[in-house]
Amino acid sequence: MKYLPLVFRNLLRNKLRSLLTGGAIGLAMLLVCFFLTMPGGIDRLLSEISSNVRVSVHNKGGVVYDMPYAYVQRVRSIPGVAAVNGEVWFGGAFEEEAMVTFPSFALDPDAVQAMWPDYKIEPIALEKFRRQRDAAIVGRETMKKYGWRIGQQVSLVSTVWPVTLTFRIVGEIPNDRAPHFWIQREYLAQAMQAQDRDLDTVGTIWVRVDDPAMVPSVMARAVEMFRNSPAEVTAETEKSFFASFFGSLQAFVQIILVVTALVALCVLCIAANTASMAVRERSREIAVLRAIGFSRGVIFGTLVAESMVLATVAGGTGALLTYGFSALIRMLAGGSMGSNELGPLTGFLVTPGIVAQGIGLSIVVGLVAGIAPAWGAARRPVAEILREVF
Amino acid sequence: MAEPLISLRDVSRVYRRGADDVHALEHVSLTIESGLFVALMGPSGSGKSTLLNLLSGIDRPSGGDVVVAGKRLNDLSEDELAHWRSRHIGLIFQFYNLIPVLSALENVELPLLLTSFDRRERLQRARTALDVVGLGARARHVPSELSGGEQQRVAIARAIVTDPDLIIADEPTGDLDAKNADQILRMLLELSHELQKTVVMVTHDPRASEWVDLVFHLEKGILKDTFAGAAGKDHVEPRGPAAGTPA
Repeated sequence: MKYLPLVFRNLLRNKLRSLLTGGAIGLAMLLVCFFLTMPGGIDRLLSEISSNVRVSVHNKGGVVYDMPYAYVQRVRSIPGVAAVNGEVWFGGAFEEEAMVTFPSFALDPDAVQAMWPDYKIEPIALEKFRRQRDAAIVGRETMKKYGWRIGQQVSLVSTVWPVTLTFRIVGEIPNDRAPHFWIQREYLAQAMQAQDRDLDTVGTIWVRVDDPAMVPSVMARAVEMFRNSPAEVTAETEKSFFASFFGSLQAFVQIILVVTALVALCVLCIAANTASMAVRERSREIAVLRAIGFSRGVIFGTLVAESMVLATVAGGTGALLTYGFSALIRMLAGGSMGSNELGPLTGFLVTPGIVAQGIGLSIVVGLVAGIAPAWGAARRPVAEILREVF
Repeated sequence: MAEPLISLRDVSRVYRRGADDVHALEHVSLTIESGLFVALMGPSGSGKSTLLNLLSGIDRPSGGDVVVAGKRLNDLSEDELAHWRSRHIGLIFQFYNLIPVLSALENVELPLLLTSFDRRERLQRARTALDVVGLGARARHVPSELSGGEQQRVAIARAIVTDPDLIIADEPTGDLDAKNADQILRMLLELSHELQKTVVMVTHDPRASEWVDLVFHLEKGILKDTFAGAAGKDHVEPRGPAAGTPA
């Protein structure tokens, strides 16, 4: 601690250089943390909206293929199953945008609470959802995105079924990252019947299992149950299901991580160059300090500390600024998850963990950048340095 | 008779320069008693600074023994030498070599960072040292705000603040005008005679012999002559060239 004043004075010796180097490190850490919010978005979304005791049963050919609606009852009979809810992709497009901008499904309102108790939907909203044929429950993210409120009527044009339906929003899923738009299956079925068509298919059968230990056997039984049928199925846990759903983004995430690593490497080179210059310029002073009795360890320690203090303060500041920067980007983007092709990557939600990673990386950058020049200055015999500089 | 503070016996120092060996010092033997003000004189390249480096434990001899304050320096490692210097040696350089970002007080405090004194004790000792050199009022000034003479006095304060046995000065007046040079020499003389510090100084200044007790004259790495300076104390017995001639 007693050497800290010396460390700080040396850092402030060339203010412009320290400022520029610190600025580069801070900016780089801001970018690193900002990039890290993108892959983190998928993980957080999966944690928030998925569960390991919920299982998705869907057509083996892919989620875009239907299954007979009768499958729902048969899956319900599998031992260990606590609840079942079959959903159909409605593909509703909000009239103002004329394209699908949030996921809308028709499902069984009586089995919503049993299937998604963790969503913590208001009981009164669930009751209305059960009673009113045109009721809709909407995720808070979509509610916010369009400025909708409970009680409001919304018309959606289905991009799958030849119908345009008007819904009354009766409740919301209280999660900022929930984009869902749920409607009653019966409402859609009646609209189809009006056109002499039956709604006798289901897209995904959601299953909630009582005991996590029984999940594998329930999935195996479901697959086995429909083997060799016209519509064979596959089953996976909800986390796995959504992870696969976002699989196309994984390559992009890899690129982001590579770019992040390159940014970190770049700033490491900048910090190392600054540390080297600082040591070179102060050869004479270092020689004097060595001559008056400063050991190699103390010289090494103070020089590394200089590099670490600069990198930590600058990098930490940059990491903390990510909160404001990501909020600004979100505001400029005018939307959040699902607003474009990058889906959950564009949540840009900064967590303390990401900031901690940025600060940790800053410390490592300072340490690594300082080690080589500090070691070079500390290990040389003092007589040799004195001969060179005097 | 008490042990001399400094004892060099048959000391040589050879450097490698490319494929050649440079004999900076050859078979030098000398002793220096405590409390003397000693000058090492001689032309450039005569080995004065090399000898100074050996006395201060900055460098190690290629041959012979260097014993200072009862310690044989040949066998100490770099870090052991650094620790030893911090306790026993005060260094003064030609170009002052103060740390430009630190105040006079902080520069003087520097060697005390290597001790176990707390901050209050360190600052008190540093202020006392600055008072000794007459710069107590300039404690908060950084080196660039001080004249050359004042900077050298700060350097002297830095050298004495740990109360070392031996003060080593490498051309301490080389960058000063005559008036400031005299002030510095007087100060070193007072340190030696009044505070009983041993001061060994390398100098080109021919007037230095008027201030010192003893002069060692080197040429081409060989101790050619030893004679008393004008400030010589009664107990100083100059040793003739034989004391420094090759063994």
